[in-house]
Amino acid sequence: MTAHTYFEEHLPLYAAGQLDGAQRAEIEIHLAGCPECRADLELWAAVSGEIHTANRPLAAPPALAEHALDQIHAPNRLTSAFLRTWQLLRVQALLVRHEMWPASALVMLMGVVVALLADRVNFIYFLAPLVAASSLAMLYGPENDAAMELSLATPTSPWKILLARLSVVSGYNLLLSLGATLLLLFIAPPGLLGTIILGWLGPLTFLSALALLLSIWLGTNQAIAVAYGLWLLQYIPFAAIGPWLDSPGLASAMAVYRQFWQSPLLLLLLSLFLIGLALWSANRPVFRLTSTPS
Amino acid sequence: MISYAVSNAITEKRPWPIAMAEPEYNVELMRRIAAREDMALCELYAAYGQRLYAYALRLTNEPALAEDIVQDALVIVWRTAGRYRGEGRLAAWLLGIVHHTAIKAMRHRSIPISDEMVTGLPAPTDSPETQTQANQQAQWVRDGLQSLSPEHRAVLELVFYQGLSLDETAKVCNCPLGTVKSRLSYARQHLRGILSRQNVEEWR
Ligand SMILES: [Zn+2]
Repeated sequence: MTAHTYFEEHLPLYAAGQLDGAQRAEIEIHLAGCPECRADLELWAAVSGEIHTANRPLAAPPALAEHALDQIHAPNRLTSAFLRTWQLLRVQALLVRHEMWPASALVMLMGVVVALLADRVNFIYFLAPLVAASSLAMLYGPENDAAMELSLATPTSPWKILLARLSVVSGYNLLLSLGATLLLLFIAPPGLLGTIILGWLGPLTFLSALALLLSIWLGTNQAIAVAYGLWLLQYIPFAAIGPWLDSPGLASAMAVYRQFWQSPLLLLLLSLFLIGLALWSANRPVFRLTSTPS
Repeated sequence: MISYAVSNAITEKRPWPIAMAEPEYNVELMRRIAAREDMALCELYAAYGQRLYAYALRLTNEPALAEDIVQDALVIVWRTAGRYRGEGRLAAWLLGIVHHTAIKAMRHRSIPISDEMVTGLPAPTDSPETQTQANQQAQWVRDGLQSLSPEHRAVLELVFYQGLSLDETAKVCNCPLGTVKSRLSYARQHLRGILSRQNVEEWR
């Protein structure tokens, strides 16, 4: 019977008190003659009563809106990661040896002056890697860092500290070299700009990475000595020193060696490897011990 | 044919028509939340917190989870308040967000329906000496509700406690009106089965 089905459907709303007078009257007329619907109504009334009874003692949990607002106003993960990184870079930039900043800038400036006076663009190519390598050799280790104890006491791991300093100082070195190159445009044609930058970028990166790694393994002074030695080796005019050094074997070996310093891609790849090794070494306690002043 | 005509007549006389406009102060409250006013969210919670929590608890049977769900729902309300323009009742709109959040949270934790969950509900408030037949019947109804799925409990809670129409209930549950009706019908048969079985055991 369709009418019964209809009322059956609307009984829950009737029990929930959701129907108006006319609708209620219609249903009540049907209820009077339908025992099945009366039983259903009893059931719905029991359900309604039970749900109300269960919900009556419930109160809204305190301070949920405040917690939601805390959640809403908390910086999201990406922003807080960015803030943490910025904080680390700023703190570590302050902990790097202060005299390094003006010293590097001064040496680069003198290099530019010499290059301009002597009209030798190549001088920047010669100087930039040396400046960068010495600043990176002083980056890490007890003899360079009065605040080292403090740094190591913080929860930031050594490799992160090293990476932060490496980023800050390398960025500074790159800016210095770029600035110097731009000044050289007084004597060099603008078309050479890219060539000049590519010229020093590879050696600068590689020598910096090498100096950093050696400073962790052997100490700052040894690192500078080795890095400078390797770099200057290519400029030694062996044939001019004496006839006993004027051999074809040595000459071809030196040609290969100079070629090595002019292969930007190879140098950059090797730099990545050295930097990875340096970061790994920074976390080894044994290397931190050997870098005590002797 | 007759029932169709009667049905139309009753639908037109429904106390809460589907497109009923919400009081201006509620629309204004949502406007203030959309304008990022912290105080407005607190006011909204003061007005609707109990209902929303009751609904989340009905779905989950777990007070701590229900709290998390309401909090997450408030965060969603904060982000989507601008989409509410008073075209339906605010309570239904809010319950829809709680429903969505709860279903997601429960799917995530894949909560099994078990007897232990009954302990999550408030204990009966009556003292032992007033445990009458009526209380025992209430206990069966309570157990019967527990044995229903969250989707079926949701429909009962929305209709009987939250005072939502069947259309609003369908919107909150994000399902067709026919599904709401069949869930009510299923709940009726399920509970009637339990009650008649209990009555036979107790009184015959
Ligand atoms: Zn009937």
